[in-house]
Amino acid sequence: MQYYATLARLRPRLMPKTFLAPTAAMSTSAEPVRKAMPSALTFDRHAKCSTTKARASTLHLPHGSVPLPIFMPVATQASLKGLTYDQLRETGCMLCLNNTYHLGLKPGQEVLDAVGGAHKFQGWDRNLLTDSGGLLTPEHSISLQNSIGSDIIMQLDDVIATTSPDHARIKEAMDRSVRWLDRCIDAHKYPERQNLFCIIQGGLDLELRKQCCEEMVARDTPGIAIGGLSGGEAKEEFCKVVDTCTGLLPENKPRYVMGVGYPEDIVVAVALGADMFDCVWPTRTARFGNAIVDAGTLNLRHQKYAHDFSPIDEGCECVCCRPTDKGGLGVTKAYIHHVTAKETVGAHLLTQHNVHYMLKLMGAVRQAIIEDRYPAFLRRFFSNIYNGDKTKYPEWAIGALRGVGTDLLED
Amino acid sequence: MDTEPSPSHEMTFSILGSAAPVLAPRVGTLALAGRQAIATPNLVPLTSRGTVPHISHDMVRKETSINSLYIGLEDFIERKHPAPLYNVPAAAHESSLRKFICAQDDATLLLGPRRFPAIACPPNNTETSIAISTSVGFRQLEAHRYIEAIQKLKPDIAIGLADMVLGRAPGLKRRGKMVDRTHAYTRDALEHLYGESVANEKKSKTKYFAPVLPLDNTQQSLYLDDLETEFRDYIAGLALYESASLGFIPEALGSLPRLLLSDPSSPHEILREISLGADLVTVPFLQGCSDAGIALDFAFPVPEAVQARGEPQPLGLDLWSSEYAMDVSPLVEGCECYACRKHHRAYFNHLLRAKEMAAWALLQMHNHHVVDRLLAGARESIQRGTFEEDVQAFHRAYVADLPDRTGEGPRLRGYQMPAAGPNQPRRMPKVYGRLDDLSQKFAESQSSVATPDTDAEGLEKHGFAEKI
Repeated sequence: MQYYATLARLRPRLMPKTFLAPTAAMSTSAEPVRKAMPSALTFDRHAKCSTTKARASTLHLPHGSVPLPIFMPVATQASLKGLTYDQLRETGCMLCLNNTYHLGLKPGQEVLDAVGGAHKFQGWDRNLLTDSGGLLTPEHSISLQNSIGSDIIMQLDDVIATTSPDHARIKEAMDRSVRWLDRCIDAHKYPERQNLFCIIQGGLDLELRKQCCEEMVARDTPGIAIGGLSGGEAKEEFCKVVDTCTGLLPENKPRYVMGVGYPEDIVVAVALGADMFDCVWPTRTARFGNAIVDAGTLNLRHQKYAHDFSPIDEGCECVCCRPTDKGGLGVTKAYIHHVTAKETVGAHLLTQHNVHYMLKLMGAVRQAIIEDRYPAFLRRFFSNIYNGDKTKYPEWAIGALRGVGTDLLED
Repeated sequence: MDTEPSPSHEMTFSILGSAAPVLAPRVGTLALAGRQAIATPNLVPLTSRGTVPHISHDMVRKETSINSLYIGLEDFIERKHPAPLYNVPAAAHESSLRKFICAQDDATLLLGPRRFPAIACPPNNTETSIAISTSVGFRQLEAHRYIEAIQKLKPDIAIGLADMVLGRAPGLKRRGKMVDRTHAYTRDALEHLYGESVANEKKSKTKYFAPVLPLDNTQQSLYLDDLETEFRDYIAGLALYESASLGFIPEALGSLPRLLLSDPSSPHEILREISLGADLVTVPFLQGCSDAGIALDFAFPVPEAVQARGEPQPLGLDLWSSEYAMDVSPLVEGCECYACRKHHRAYFNHLLRAKEMAAWALLQMHNHHVVDRLLAGARESIQRGTFEEDVQAFHRAYVADLPDRTGEGPRLRGYQMPAAGPNQPRRMPKVYGRLDDLSQKFAESQSSVATPDTDAEGLEKHGFAEKI
């Protein structure tokens, strides 16, 4: 701790004059209170839902453009669970995650430096996002993320369980996260090619979240994450936090809700104004034999699928579900049942389907926003999952969407 | 390699360039209607539960030259008959096996009763069935059920049932039984599949490869005689279980393709099998190496660059070794496989240590490519007439053995593990034992109930209680 703190003090301030001028991508509307934060991204807003807070935009990053809203699959240890990067490309993925903590352990910073960053290391020429890794110090975290070379890097934040009853501790964590952001900004060596995102903390206390938003927004990072969620809090609380934060964040920056999640959570969070999501669930659940489809999740290990020769998801255009006469593999539920949890190939096939499903879903979300029919999309989406039975719709989703002018129960 | 599907409705096997029918290397083409022609000698990739282990179907198609698959029926057998693959909706001309495992249309499917290499089963084979190992335990596969499977699943090639003894050398009496049973299985199968009593339109289109037992020819001479005469018109090939069998194939059967289901320990041994006249070979070490994190590195005929190195070269690289942690060169310099085009050694070292499945997937693609190239090189060498010299040069250029396995591989499943019989040692070390023991001792020490410092015997001796 001491060592890194010293290092940070000794390091010259890495803000060359050229970066002081706001780049073309940045809006000057938010008054830079502190020094200007260079950005390696441009954020094009295309449409905003006329009812909800949903936005459709494009995020131009150093390794290609990402349509938002987006789901980002998680390649924790520089590999997306058995898939080759060409298979990941095939799903349409433009941006995936690596985990700083894991890459710091294996292969380690020395190797990443020697190889020239994580893109080269894993053979992925599209965008990468890394989390902060929860390492020792902000300087250490940023130094590692600089070595990784990810297109989006996250500040080190102090995360505590949202369910923690200790209000003083939550406040402390929030204040500390703000202080750490300053240290991260100072330590960041490559702001011209890596975008540092701040992370809004503050637990479930909306007042703290407001304060945090104010502090963080003032620091003018290229993008903003809402952190500390998906930690077991009630979904109502989760929605309130997202709704409150997006209400205070500038319109011209991407908003990333970390660690979310299930398709239902994502479509609701989009309506509340969030743009980016990541979660290991779609890929992890694939390895356990669960396929994500419009009607929810199918546990293909169940005996009832042993003789089911229909595609995993009728009409899905992923390489597994597409019929052979359309260049697909024609994989059936029965075959996944046969190989899942027994052959690694079973995981590869279903992982491809699930990632494709999530990206396809986000594409449909985006299209609906652009065509300004997102409320209808939401009604359709929930109707599909609950087979039209409105009594089964989750209360939290109904409540949250009502808050942005959409009544799920309406016909 | 030929990629044109064969136009005829029959299987043809044409041998080029070899005069001697047996005990000599030969080059040929195995062409089946609708399938990619297979240039021989060639590799038959082994499958597990219908997949080429670790390589998903789309990658098999895009990034490998795999055009045939060996499939063991036992991988599909479930508790209840009929197993799901029998119920796959398929048109009359389609193979329900192909549909079930989502294999490409032009790949030749070879169905055998068991996986290869098969696991020795404790239950015995019988006059009418063989013991198999399925994912739901040991079962018997009745000979008539196997015939039924061939009829219903319509593989391109079926390997006949054989009474094999695995894991130990059979005694004299047992060997006699092996021959008698295999003889009977074969007679039965041929009669039911193609016999005169079967109506023409019902005759099976599947080509039958008759087994040759891993025994001396004198022991199975009666059976071999029948293969040569009575069965000759019905069999389309031979399935051999050891390279020694290549030595006594009757002349009359010399024109049949020979599938050698063997477990060579090195590429040298593959070349030996080819030199004895094997047409199709299996290479279990290919996956063994991928699982162990070993990238094969050999070429046939030996490239000049390798020859120039003087001392014998290793046959592969153990990517677990930390010497590759920062090595950004491809697995094998100049290799054109997917893994070498896209990734470097440092990444493999990382994937293995991180236990990421991609390591095995990519290594499988590389190792398939290396063995595929070995066989392509062998075909060219035979046609050039330099095979023998090239083999000698190969022996000089490379060490005799594959690298030792140092790292951990993927978790093995029951159907991949040899069953050692009763009381076999644990597959995985017990992890929680010590903790349980400690916590129990702790609980005892904390217990408010007085615990005697003696056992039941001691208590009885003190007259405290009676032991029952």
